[in-house]
Amino acid sequence: MFFKLNPTTGQPLYLQLMQQIRHAAETGALQDGEQLPGIRTLAEELVVSPNTVAKAYSELEHEGILELRQGSGAFLTLKRRTRSLTDHVQVARRRLRELIEQLREHGLMDEEIRRAFEAELLYPAEVVRK
Amino acid sequence: MLWYKGWLETRSRFLTCLIVVTGFCAVFIHYTQGYLRPEWRVDFHRLMLVAHQYLVIIWIISVVLLGMGGLVREKANGSSSLTLSLPVSRAHLLGVRVAIGVLEAITLGVVPWGAIFLVSFASGMPIQFQQARFYALLLVSGGLVYFAMAVLVSSLLEGEYTAPAVAFGLVFLTMILFDLWLRDLNLWRFVSGDFYLDRNTYLLSGPFPWKGTVACLAVAALMLIASVKVLEEREF
Amino acid sequence: MRNTPVILTHDLTKSYGTVMAVHGLNLSVEPNRITAFLGQNGAGKSTTIKMLLGMIRPTCGEGTVLGKRIANAEENREMRRKVAYVAENKPLYSYMTVEQTVRFASSFYSDWRADVATKLLSEYRLPNKRKVKSLSKGMRTKLALLLAFARRPELLILDEPSEGLDPVGIEHLLQTLVAQSADGVSIFFSSHQIAEVERVADHVCILDNGRLLVNASLDRLLQSYRRIDLAFRFPPPEQEFRIAGVERIRISGNALSILASMNAEAVVERAHDLNAVSVEVAPVGLRDIFLETVKEN
Repeated sequence: MFFKLNPTTGQPLYLQLMQQIRHAAETGALQDGEQLPGIRTLAEELVVSPNTVAKAYSELEHEGILELRQGSGAFLTLKRRTRSLTDHVQVARRRLRELIEQLREHGLMDEEIRRAFEAELLYPAEVVRK
Repeated sequence: MLWYKGWLETRSRFLTCLIVVTGFCAVFIHYTQGYLRPEWRVDFHRLMLVAHQYLVIIWIISVVLLGMGGLVREKANGSSSLTLSLPVSRAHLLGVRVAIGVLEAITLGVVPWGAIFLVSFASGMPIQFQQARFYALLLVSGGLVYFAMAVLVSSLLEGEYTAPAVAFGLVFLTMILFDLWLRDLNLWRFVSGDFYLDRNTYLLSGPFPWKGTVACLAVAALMLIASVKVLEEREF
Repeated sequence: MRNTPVILTHDLTKSYGTVMAVHGLNLSVEPNRITAFLGQNGAGKSTTIKMLLGMIRPTCGEGTVLGKRIANAEENREMRRKVAYVAENKPLYSYMTVEQTVRFASSFYSDWRADVATKLLSEYRLPNKRKVKSLSKGMRTKLALLLAFARRPELLILDEPSEGLDPVGIEHLLQTLVAQSADGVSIFFSSHQIAEVERVADHVCILDNGRLLVNASLDRLLQSYRRIDLAFRFPPPEQEFRIAGVERIRISGNALSILASMNAEAVVERAHDLNAVSVEVAPVGLRDIFLETVKEN
């Protein structure tokens, strides 16, 4: 499993890592029960702070995608709840794919589409922002 | 391993001075060969005195050079940040440097006189151990003041050449000024044996001047304490 | 579990005559983190670090490192046992060989790890018997860093560690920092290279002209700063956007480009209220955050 983190984009590295792990779980590149590299190992491999990896793993554990077992490491767990969440995500992605195709047909560039999403996501300011 | 570091730093200076001083003894040995007659005893003693005068000069130059270096010089060289990050106090750092210098200074005083003493036996004109000891003790106990002064100067000045130049300048200056106004306190005359010389026998005579020695060592100690204070105040 | 700051300063100030090298610094560095001290050359980073280590005396203010007062010589010395420091100029003794240097350094610290030293000596390809004065600049840099990396201190302080290293060396440096951090070492390093800070820093302190301008977790910074580009059909009401969190507003025709350090949502809301025809929000990288912060100062 290869992760690629880009520090210059402005997106926190731990979020990038979380996204990539989630993506791997959704697409099946990482199987249920599979073990992820230890925090130290992954941090050294990616050359990022161990706290970054720890934070990503911890947040994913909150979301129910990872299980952190004391002494053994981080394991992928696609629990029932998260399995259905994954299904939701797959449905959402299908809808988004259609929408994006439509927007492209309307002549929007990908960059414009992305920025529009960002803007809309920010507004209105919801309490979900931590 | 501060002692090891200090040794590495002073090693070449010390060994060079030791060779020069030993070389000087060799020259002296050469001269004694011509004074093997008992009736020329006084001249022999005068020769010893002259030898000592030269020895004093070489010795003072040596210990001033040995007193150079230290933290302030390291700042100019760029290694002070390493030394100062060690879990060692500045007083300790100076203390080790001073201890090494003192041991080297004593060696540079004792070796030549020890050699002269031994060689005088070989050449058939044995000098009294008491004489050799007198000369050596005067040199080292009084002379350490010059060493302490060099340490103080090197704690104040950074330059590789300005520090020794100023130190030598001070040696010279004090010698002249004291001779003009405070002759009886002139360190140079103390160290060279001038105060205790019997002009008939050309031997050092009288009781050993312990008070003078203690006074000198006290002055040296004061200068070293001043050096510690200077270093503790200084910013690196 | 220690949670007292490894470095804490209160109003730390250093002035040379009329020049303030460090001005009222209130630094708080948490343990078990990699904290970067970011600033241009001459910003006061080295001066701050030297004050922490007792090499320079603060003009006023105070500080503690590992709980020990920096202005107290005895406490500072006690603290230095557990702190590994490499100065900006990578100091070494030119007359010692590589081997002698390593032996010398190891004799002072109980946290020395001989196995790590051996490993690094061979990794860095440092010739044991060669004198430091005959080493190349890169090798000297590596040796100086080795003296710190072969230890397991509580705190590692590095002043511009990557200076003098080629890209391979820099990569290795960052890997070592990460490994040390994983071992529980708190790391405080100063740098003016954004690229390295972006990769490994948990927390960023930005210093400019002796003042601490930013002191925040890198993630928090990246999540709060936003660039918001707005377009209107009329000359844009710039003053409407001078709200809390807005750092800079640029105008070009009917467009506004706003940099916000926080409260981006409020800006977007205001833009919608004022009938902006286009609202684009983009994240901001550390480089831009730094440049903007420093320019502003």
